[in-house]
Amino acid sequence: MAIIEVKDLTKIYGNGDNAVRALDSINLSVEEGKFVAVMGPSGCGKSTLLHLIGGLDRPTSGSVMIEGKDISKMKDDQLTELRRRKMGFIFQFFNLIPVLNAAENAALPLILDGVKQERAKAKAMEWLQKNQLGDRSTHRPDELSGGQQQRVAIARAMISDPLIILADEPTGNLDTRSGDEIASVLRSLVSDWGRTVLMVTHDPRIAAYADRIIFLKDGKIVDDTLMSSDAPENARRLKEKVESL
Amino acid sequence: MSVRHSLLGLLAQQPRYGYELRAAFTALAGGSENWNVTPAQIYTTLNRMLESGLVEIEPSDDGSTSEKRKFHITPAGLEEFNRWLLTDVRDEPQQDAFYLKLMLSRHLDFVDTSRLIQIQRNGLYHDLHRITQAREKLDQRTDLARIMLMDKAIMHLEADLRWLDMVESRLDEVVKQPPPEVCLRPRGRPQKNSPVSDRQ
Repeated sequence: MAIIEVKDLTKIYGNGDNAVRALDSINLSVEEGKFVAVMGPSGCGKSTLLHLIGGLDRPTSGSVMIEGKDISKMKDDQLTELRRRKMGFIFQFFNLIPVLNAAENAALPLILDGVKQERAKAKAMEWLQKNQLGDRSTHRPDELSGGQQQRVAIARAMISDPLIILADEPTGNLDTRSGDEIASVLRSLVSDWGRTVLMVTHDPRIAAYADRIIFLKDGKIVDDTLMSSDAPENARRLKEKVESL
Repeated sequence: MSVRHSLLGLLAQQPRYGYELRAAFTALAGGSENWNVTPAQIYTTLNRMLESGLVEIEPSDDGSTSEKRKFHITPAGLEEFNRWLLTDVRDEPQQDAFYLKLMLSRHLDFVDTSRLIQIQRNGLYHDLHRITQAREKLDQRTDLARIMLMDKAIMHLEADLRWLDMVESRLDEVVKQPPPEVCLRPRGRPQKNSPVSDRQ
């Protein structure tokens, strides 16, 4: 079963003559444990798609199913719960709290959730170490490079063990080398930790880390490419399809 | 021509056997998956260079030839190698096969030009993904030279993809461009006292 299933998803901003159709009947299915990049020119609706899948915004029509549950029909508190338990968010600007150090920033979601300080910090350290930041845990954001700050943000996103990581231009504010590092960390979340990553980017270099690239234009999916490493998977699906005929 | 001159360069380092030269070139060029030369290519090149005096064979005791020949560079070979080394490398960025397809398709009503862009983009992304994955497996300290070569390829692919995006965003205008002007030169020998005198 697909972990994310989007059906006839449409989002219209404004109304009457000023209405803008940001997404136009999108259908998309994402399997668990895949790294998917969403690309397209600015204003194509890629961030809107990510926000709707993440439950940060509500669709005009259509549905978003996460693990088979329609989130567009959920009440606000149910949606909040789902976001906290199932999803991790990573943004272009790292949104770290300046007065907290790396470990405190990464631990924040658990602390806000009522988990004891000690346990939350231990969990934060675990993810900081996985992101090669174990020795920077007491540094404040202004003492960290952009790439390091984004890795703290990834640790923060991972701390509640989400199944799905939604990343909106995660390397947009970084130089090439730090961008590569972050893409590599996202890749390992999928390859080593079995998570599902959906990433919006305009950078081909970063998209190349993904298993699948979806191209949006004017609110529609215009192309959908599986990368070569998926060839066995492709062959399996084709075989299933042929056998089912 | 790069293969020929690289073989000279390898021989400038030390005399080598033919099979050693192939292995050394493959290592130099970043692996056989990156640049595959066949033994036949190597021996053909070596034989040509023997004929033109750029390399010579070490006289062997048993008088054996073929694979067991050890090659040395000659002074003429060294000079040729150095000349190549000190000449800048140029490619032809404006000779573009995809551009030809694009230009041809816009006046053929059975071709969907935007589909051509998609196919091309898919191919470029597959290459980019493959190289990115291979690069991820390398060690920054011990494989830096290989990583630099891969970065070069990645940057070129990025540029190709950006260009494709640019073309796609202005495709309507591009398609409406007038066809390129075709200049038909007069056939046969130029006439006497013709002003076109530089065509000799």
